[in-house]
Amino acid sequence: MTARRHRSTFRYIGKRLIHAAFTILGIAVINFLLLQLAPGDAAEALAGEAGTADAEYMESLRRQFGLDRSLIEQLGAFLLRIVTLDFGWSFRHGMSNWDLIMDRLPATLLLMGASILLALIGGIVMGVIAARNVGRLPDRLISVGALLLYATPPFWIGLMMIVLFSVKLGWVPTGGMYDVIGGKTGFAHVLDVMWHLALPVLTQAFFYLAIYTRLVRAGMLEVLNLEYIRVARAKGISENRIAYRHALRNAVLPLLTVVGANIGTFLGGAVLTESIFSWPGIGRLMFDAMMQRDLNLLLSILVLSSIFVVIANLLVDLLYAVINPTVELK
Amino acid sequence: MAKDTLLSVEDLHLSVSHMPEARILRGVSFDVTRGKTLAIVGESGCGKSVTSLAVMGLLPEGLTKTAGHIRFDGTDLPVTDNEAMRKIRGDRIGMVFQEPMAALNPVYTIGNQVAEVILEHENISRAEARERVIALMREVGLPDPDHIVDEYPHRLSGGQRQRVVIAMALACNPDLLIADEPTTALDVTVQAQIMRLLKGAQAELGVAIVLITHNLGLVAQVADRVAVMYAGRKVEEAETRRLFSAPLHPYTRGLLAATPRPGRRQEGELPLSEIPGMVPSITEDLRGCRFAPRCPLASDICHRVIPEPRMIGATSVACHNTTETEAPA
Repeated sequence: MTARRHRSTFRYIGKRLIHAAFTILGIAVINFLLLQLAPGDAAEALAGEAGTADAEYMESLRRQFGLDRSLIEQLGAFLLRIVTLDFGWSFRHGMSNWDLIMDRLPATLLLMGASILLALIGGIVMGVIAARNVGRLPDRLISVGALLLYATPPFWIGLMMIVLFSVKLGWVPTGGMYDVIGGKTGFAHVLDVMWHLALPVLTQAFFYLAIYTRLVRAGMLEVLNLEYIRVARAKGISENRIAYRHALRNAVLPLLTVVGANIGTFLGGAVLTESIFSWPGIGRLMFDAMMQRDLNLLLSILVLSSIFVVIANLLVDLLYAVINPTVELK
Repeated sequence: MAKDTLLSVEDLHLSVSHMPEARILRGVSFDVTRGKTLAIVGESGCGKSVTSLAVMGLLPEGLTKTAGHIRFDGTDLPVTDNEAMRKIRGDRIGMVFQEPMAALNPVYTIGNQVAEVILEHENISRAEARERVIALMREVGLPDPDHIVDEYPHRLSGGQRQRVVIAMALACNPDLLIADEPTTALDVTVQAQIMRLLKGAQAELGVAIVLITHNLGLVAQVADRVAVMYAGRKVEEAETRRLFSAPLHPYTRGLLAATPRPGRRQEGELPLSEIPGMVPSITEDLRGCRFAPRCPLASDICHRVIPEPRMIGATSVACHNTTETEAPA
C-alpha cells in the first residue's frame, strides 16, 4: 500500500510540475506586456540621469539593448531565454542578471527565512496560549497586541524601532548587513550579521506574527471544542499534551496555506523593510530596476519569484498530505 | 455504602456558576455495584449526560457542584478537573461517547491513539503497548488487527470506530465504564453488536457499566438496574425487570407507554401515547414535584411539597401518590 502511495505521489508531483511550467510561462508573458505599458525605457532613464543626450545616442543605446525591435520579436527573444533558463544581461549594471540576483538572494533568504521562522514560533505559542485562556486576560492582551501589529504598517514599526533602538539607545546599527569597516571573519562575522539582522527581522516578523497568532487562535478554538478532544481528556491525557499534540496539529492546517503564500512572496515582499534598513536584498534590487527601467533585470526577478510561488505552493500541498492523512494526493 | 458498591453518587447538585438559579441537577443519588450495569434513562436535558461528566471530573466550564458527593471505590472524586482525577480517568474509569465519527483524532493512527492511553497510565515500552493494542483490537472484534492498528480513523466505519473507542476505554482494565449513548449514532444492526461487545467485556473483565440512554429497548436487554431521571432529579430506580413490569412513578409509566411496540394492538390496548406538556426549564423553581404540571395524578400536595425518594417494595420512587398497594408483592 505504501508503494502505491509513493507512486501516486510522484505522479502527482510530475503533473504539478508540468502545470507549473505553463503557469510560469503565462506569468512571464503577462509581466512582459504589463511592463511595456509603463512609460519610458532604459535609454530614457540613462539619458535622464546623464542630464543630456542627443537623439542619435539614444538610438544607438536602444539598438544596443534590442529595444528597437518589434514587440513580438522582443517577447519571442525573452521567452526563448526563459525556456533555456538564460536570464540575460543587465546593461544597467554591466553584469549578467543571474549573477546580480544570486549576489542578492542570500540576504533576502536570510531576512525572510528568519522572520517567518520567528513569526511561526511566536504565532503558534501566542495563538495556543490565547485559545487556552479564551476570554481571560492573556487572551485579551494577545488579541489586542496582534490586532495592533496587524493594523500598523511595517515600515512605520521599522522606523520607530530605528529611532528607539538605534538612535536613542544605540543598541543596534541603523542599517546595512555588516560592518563595512570591520572586515570581520568567521564567527565574529556571523555575530555581526545577526546584530544587523535584528531590527529588519523583527519588523518583517511582526506583520506575519499578527496573522499567524490570529489564525492559530481561531483554529485552536475550533478544534478544542471537538469531540476527540473530549475523548482525549477522558483518556486522562494532560492539558498540555492535548493542546500541543491533539489540537495544534489539526489547527495549523489553515496556517500552512498562509505560510506557503508568504514564502511565495519572499522575493518581492520585503521591498519596504529592505529599503528602510538598507538591506542588500532582492527587494531593493527589484525596486531599483523598476526606477531605472532595467526591464530585463526586473523581468528576470519576476520570473524567479513566480517560480518561487509555484514551488512554495507545491510544497504546501505535499505537506498537507503529510500533516493530514485524510488528504490524498491525486 | 455496601461493600460491593463501586460508585456512589449522593445528593448531587449542579448549577450554572454565574447563574445560581439555573440548577441543572437537584439532588441525584445512585449506587453502581461492581461488575453490574446501571442504566440512566430520561429525555434530553434531564441531566443524565452531565451526571456522567461530573463523575469523570469533566464538567464543562461554567458549571459547579453546589452540594453532594461522588465516591468511587472509597475515595471522594472532585467534579472538576485536577491532577488526581486525571490519573483515574482512562485508567480506572473509561468512557465511551455518542459520536464515534468525531471521537477519534483524524491525524493519528488508531493504534497510536489506543496506545496513548496505556502509555499515559502504565510504565511499559512502546513495543509492549503496541502488542497490547493489537490484542485489544482483536478483543473488540476489529478485522485484521495487525494492519488496522496502522490505519487512520477516516478509513473505518462508524461501528469500527466505536469499537476503537471502546478499546481505548477498556485499555487499562478499568473498574467502571461510562457509556453515554454509545449506540445512538449507529445502525440498528451495529447497535446490537456494540452492546454485545460491551456485555462481553463486562462478563470477562468484571467492569461495572453506567449506560446512559433514552433507548428503553436497549435498557431492558442489558441493564441490571435502571434509574429514571426527570428535570434534574431521579424519580425512580429499580431492578430492570421490576421497573418494566411494575413502574411506580407516573413519569416512568408515561415513558413506557410512549415506547412503540411491534405487532398488532391487543383488544383494548391504547395506541402509542405521549406525555402532555413540556419539561420545566432549569431556572424554573417549582415548589413541589417537578413533574406535577404534566402529571395525570397530581394532587394538591404535589404542587406544594417536593417528594423525597422512598422505598416501596424494592423500588425507590419519588412520588407522593404512589402507595404500597400499587406495588406488586
